[in-house]
Amino acid sequence: MSDERTLMQSEGDRLAAAEYVLGVLGAADRRQAQQRLLHDQAFAAEVAFWEERLGSLAEAVAPVEPPERAWRRIAKALRLPEDRPPRESLWQSLNFWRSFAIGSAALAVLSLGALTFIEISPPPRAPLLATLDASSGQPNFVAAVGAGGTSMLVVPAALLAADQRAYELWLIPSGDKPHSLGLVEPGRPVRIDVPPDLTARLTADTALAVSIEPPGGSPTGQPTGPVIASGKLLNL
Amino acid sequence: MEGDAERSQLVAALARVAGGDRSALQIVYQDTSAKLFGVCLRILNNRSEAEDVLQEVYLTVWRKAASFDQARASPITWLVAIARNRSIDRLRAASGGRRMEPIEAAVEVRDPAPAAVELVEASQQAGRLDLCLEQLEAKQSTAIRSAFLEGNTYEELAERMKVPLGTMKSWIRRGLLKLRDCLER
Repeated sequence: MSDERTLMQSEGDRLAAAEYVLGVLGAADRRQAQQRLLHDQAFAAEVAFWEERLGSLAEAVAPVEPPERAWRRIAKALRLPEDRPPRESLWQSLNFWRSFAIGSAALAVLSLGALTFIEISPPPRAPLLATLDASSGQPNFVAAVGAGGTSMLVVPAALLAADQRAYELWLIPSGDKPHSLGLVEPGRPVRIDVPPDLTARLTADTALAVSIEPPGGSPTGQPTGPVIASGKLLNL
Repeated sequence: MEGDAERSQLVAALARVAGGDRSALQIVYQDTSAKLFGVCLRILNNRSEAEDVLQEVYLTVWRKAASFDQARASPITWLVAIARNRSIDRLRAASGGRRMEPIEAAVEVRDPAPAAVELVEASQQAGRLDLCLEQLEAKQSTAIRSAFLEGNTYEELAERMKVPLGTMKSWIRRGLLKLRDCLER
């Protein structure tokens, strides 16, 4: 049926994969199978065969709603905002922003003007904006600090590749090391809640930068990959 | 269990998770956590352990979403495999000797029949698997289902079905080989 599996003909090998997927192996044999999965492609293909075929047995298992704290623990482990239901409003609509942010910094600034205008309450302090440019001068993101300085909207201003890598946003106060503000996205606006200890650092002339990081963000807490966009916050 | 629309929604969400989109993980969680919690609970038979494992499962999904290949696996089967593997690993690590409830041979250990809608939506694979399982002896298919759903070892199954270990191994191994031939036809 499939070429990769004909490589593994022996009954014993086939059984080993099936027994592993079925779950009948004891701890030691199970670990051995897991080791083998890492380097034996034919074995891995056989395991995939059984996982796909036997998987439908799980249809017989009744769903059980996990307690709410289960998601909170996961969100916490991943540093996710705990409960933010996915929503698609004008704010989040990429087309809305694309229609403004068509690659020109001037237009991007205009779109942010619109944004701050839309943003409800009268700002207690002057709104701040930054266009984050690549070294070529091409604007890649625009960032607007909301009224109150506790949140920031980061909008992609150019078409960036959406792939495995993460785009991490950094706040770099002058004379200080970068502080992570979380991940932004190449394909849609992201609203970032600024950590309370950093809100006071969000002032005019503070630099923002976006670096490319492994999925999930920088493992070290400092930028590890290339900076693809940077710019300074300016009073609007 | 999964209609085409749900399936493609899940595939799309997993692709976004692979790209580092944390909000997409919440979509995957909302769509699948009750099923996977059920799977973990069935194996571990302990809510607090199942909760721990559920967390590990979604952290694994977060790290490994890029390795999900929709050409090779359905998204729910891929997720179920992660949930089962994590649960069984946890079970083997504890291995303090579980108290085994006996299974009467030839009695199907199945949950109540799925709703009509689910039957309609049941994948072709499920249909094929059921067909092939029916061709085995009842004691063989009972042991195989029980092992899959509850993560029993050969030893535990032998104890539960009150047969010698060698007999149990031979039932299951012959059953699996026959099953494989049938599934490939």
